[in-house]
Amino acid sequence: MPRAVRGVLIECDPSVKAIILKYDEERHDYIVEDLDDDRHLVIKESQLQNLKIRLGKDLDDKLMQPDESESE
Amino acid sequence: MAAAPSRPFDFLEGLPGTVFYKLYQQPSTALAIFRRMLPDLAKCFVMALLYLKEPLPATDLEDWVRSESLRERDNALSILGRLHILSNTTTSNNVRAYMVTNPFAASLRQALMGTEQTQSFGVLSQLGDETAVTIPNLDEYAGRQWEGVLGYMVGTSGLGIQRDVNLSKGVKQLLQAGHLVEIRDRRVEITKDGFAFVLQDVGTQVWHILILYVESAEHIGMDSVEVLSFIFLLSSLELGKSYQKKDLTSTQIRTLTDLTDFGIVYQENPEATRFYPTRLATTLTSDSSALSNSISGSLMGTDTSTEAGSGFIIVETNYRIYAYTSSPLQISLIALFSTLKYRFPNLITGKITRQSIRRAVEMGITADQIISYISTHAHPQMRKHNIAKTTNPQAGVPPSVLPPTVVDQIRLWQLERDRVKATAGFLFKDFVSFAEYEAPCRYAEDIGVLTWKSDRKRMFFVTRHEQVAAFLRSRK
Repeated sequence: MPRAVRGVLIECDPSVKAIILKYDEERHDYIVEDLDDDRHLVIKESQLQNLKIRLGKDLDDKLMQPDESESE
Repeated sequence: MAAAPSRPFDFLEGLPGTVFYKLYQQPSTALAIFRRMLPDLAKCFVMALLYLKEPLPATDLEDWVRSESLRERDNALSILGRLHILSNTTTSNNVRAYMVTNPFAASLRQALMGTEQTQSFGVLSQLGDETAVTIPNLDEYAGRQWEGVLGYMVGTSGLGIQRDVNLSKGVKQLLQAGHLVEIRDRRVEITKDGFAFVLQDVGTQVWHILILYVESAEHIGMDSVEVLSFIFLLSSLELGKSYQKKDLTSTQIRTLTDLTDFGIVYQENPEATRFYPTRLATTLTSDSSALSNSISGSLMGTDTSTEAGSGFIIVETNYRIYAYTSSPLQISLIALFSTLKYRFPNLITGKITRQSIRRAVEMGITADQIISYISTHAHPQMRKHNIAKTTNPQAGVPPSVLPPTVVDQIRLWQLERDRVKATAGFLFKDFVSFAEYEAPCRYAEDIGVLTWKSDRKRMFFVTRHEQVAAFLRSRK
């Protein structure tokens, strides 16, 4: 019997997907369905904003940035 | 074709037919729409049909256009139809035919031949010319007022330089009503739409404001059609001439006063007996692009009468940006997306950095807006340099005024902010067999709601579920 589930389809890099999977391991409160390819998954609509903020913060911390010095 | 600005066109298109009927009563409106809103082919059609007494059979008209230009023809016909200029009728022997609709045809003929004595194109003031305001003065006034409006939006007062431009309450309310600014804690904060607005060229901005004005006219007890047709009237006036006010209706007088605040028209004081249109008004419905250049030039605060059309921004491949300007408005616009370093009397320097772009993107400015702003205002030296490069026959890429590395990097920095693409919708799953899965999936694709599918897992994701669910039920 087919079912329909409400959610938000997320399309992203494999690396970002791995991070989202890691978030979900903590309390299983993000993912509705892991779609088993490395670029897509469905998450809860209520968590979208939260996820974006958390991702933005973590990526800022983790990504190596070239020298940002403002010197001329 | 006259690159019809999409916003006024979209706005007009959304008006009901009765409004067009009223608008087209005025020859000035008919002429303005003819000049500004129509592609060249559509103008040809109108001119060819204008003086015909009988409707022209559709096949005859369609024969005028070569078969390889069918798209242009259909586009022209569709625009004419949407603006209620051309109507489909039949000839006496029931052949499908086109004709120019009547208030428009009559008004355009009047506008072209000048056989009428109405005040559709304004009445020149008969007052002596000793006190006349000169064109440079009008340009300066228009530039100052318009800069005042933009400056109010981006908050130039933060830079410690306050120009004494008096903005009336009406102007501020209009900006708020149009969601271009918000008032928070009695401080003016610019919105996303506002950012998009300030980075546009002046012509588009003026139309944007005027449409907001027309839309809000009903709320303050004015007839929006009358206001709109008055705006078209203003656009057909001549720069540097003054016009009588005594023939205007009370609505028109009121509009005049409000538009004075924006610098679109000039009058010495609200009780003056005559008014002058400024360049902001007279170029509204013409193809002239001199407007944006000369006004933005005057916004730079330099002498532009000799050097109209020059930009002032230089961007180097190492992301450094130099802007020859002393205008607080331009400085605060550039500061939106770059880190400013030094300020000299006529020059500021800064650097476009990852952080500055991210800051801009977080405020809701898009990379494309930034790029188009910089290229619109690029210094002539940058254009010259670029032309020299593109005469190189190997250059197959479209010319870009800016260094490609900078353009690409700005886009990449924006993408960095958007690591995930989210689409809200519904996941369909748990199909028993592939056959059961395939039919609704294909149906979803056909109606254009499918965003993702996996044949292997027998799942698919749609943006709307109602139709797909109905489809599934119908197959039970």
